[in-house]
Amino acid sequence: MFGSEDVPGNFNVDPRSGVPLYTQLIDQVKRSIAVGALAPGERLPTVKQLAVDLTVNPNTVARAYRDLERDGVIETSPGRGSFVRGSDVAQTRRTVADVAAVALEAAIRDARSIGVERPALEALVERLIERWYSVGERR
Amino acid sequence: MNPIVIESLNKRYGQFEAVRDVSFEVPAGSICGLLGPNGSGKSTTFKCALGLTRADAGRIFLDGAAPRPQMFERLAFVPERSALYERFNGAEHLEMARRAYRSYDPARASAMLDIFSLDPKKRVSRLSKGQRTALALVVAFALRPAIMVLDEPASGLDPIHQRAVLDLLIEAAAMGTAIVLSSHQIGQVERAADRVVILKRGRVVLDGELDELRGREKLIEAVFAAPFDPERFTADARIRRVERRGATLRLYVHADPDGVMRDVGALAPASLTLLDQNLEELFFSAVEEPRPATLEAR
Repeated sequence: MFGSEDVPGNFNVDPRSGVPLYTQLIDQVKRSIAVGALAPGERLPTVKQLAVDLTVNPNTVARAYRDLERDGVIETSPGRGSFVRGSDVAQTRRTVADVAAVALEAAIRDARSIGVERPALEALVERLIERWYSVGERR
Repeated sequence: MNPIVIESLNKRYGQFEAVRDVSFEVPAGSICGLLGPNGSGKSTTFKCALGLTRADAGRIFLDGAAPRPQMFERLAFVPERSALYERFNGAEHLEMARRAYRSYDPARASAMLDIFSLDPKKRVSRLSKGQRTALALVVAFALRPAIMVLDEPASGLDPIHQRAVLDLLIEAAAMGTAIVLSSHQIGQVERAADRVVILKRGRVVLDGELDELRGREKLIEAVFAAPFDPERFTADARIRRVERRGATLRLYVHADPDGVMRDVGALAPASLTLLDQNLEELFFSAVEEPRPATLEAR
């Protein structure tokens, strides 16, 4: 729906960040699946197409696809391309949890780095969950 | 065997040791960025690799064999100062390439003249520095080589044409070409390369897969409220460099960042931060001399 017609999802990588590019790509594919921008059975761009579109090394894209396949997120059939795996509730839940874990870990690491103590952090998380989840429920 | 293999290359010019014990490999479909300050040995490495200068020691394999004349059929080299003929125009250069190389692709050549907005009728002597670079690249990419060696391939090009070079490199890599290029434009290497070799005074100071380096090379910054002793970290094999400014300790880590974080955390710092390092930061921390103590003490 977003992005171009040829390339499902809306991928982008930031080479200036110190995060490995294949990790960034994996995270984005998982996010796209989690929010439904990539549907089960949908075809992913070829390694070459995505490498050229994003101006990143083809090996980087190939590495991301390999890891996604290993994790059961996508499947590749020779000559046909790579596809988002069929809808499997447990798999989708795992994918969503992976995406959330990346974001949460960064936040917790930041809090730890500026000296927030554990009980204070736990209270804060509790409060934030309360805020965001009750907003969702009111709608 | 990988298309480009360089083993323990050594080269002296008189007393000057231009390269020492330089080794790296470039697999098919890979783009390797060779980085380093001026005079760090990049051009010497290229010349030795191609057999244009005789190395004092070391072994080179291109496409599985020592460099030999037939090899140049499968290889494109774009030197830093273009090796074009002043009195010939672009079309004449492409005609020479067509006769010399079986793999020459005329459709690709004319598409590339368009991309770089080059007039093939214009003599090289009337081309700007950027246009000369562009013409050398048109010839190189039109050959569809198995190996490309590019010394500063973006010099003199405007940002749009620099971007075009990146796109062409990525396309070539996707077709299986092994590419090694030197560049002062770290941003370009950061996008297109999947591996880097950083040289300092003729030696390799950092090399590997770029994503792997992004994953393990970290900067840990800790601020201490009480006096602390940074000595214990100077002999730690996981740590490449230790900097201390006042109460702040900076550790450049190149292995096991989580373990180092735990060890520093055990010293109860007031704050502790794990920072990712992009290629530019990696480059500077690998190439820079440690700051003199007089600037650090305060």
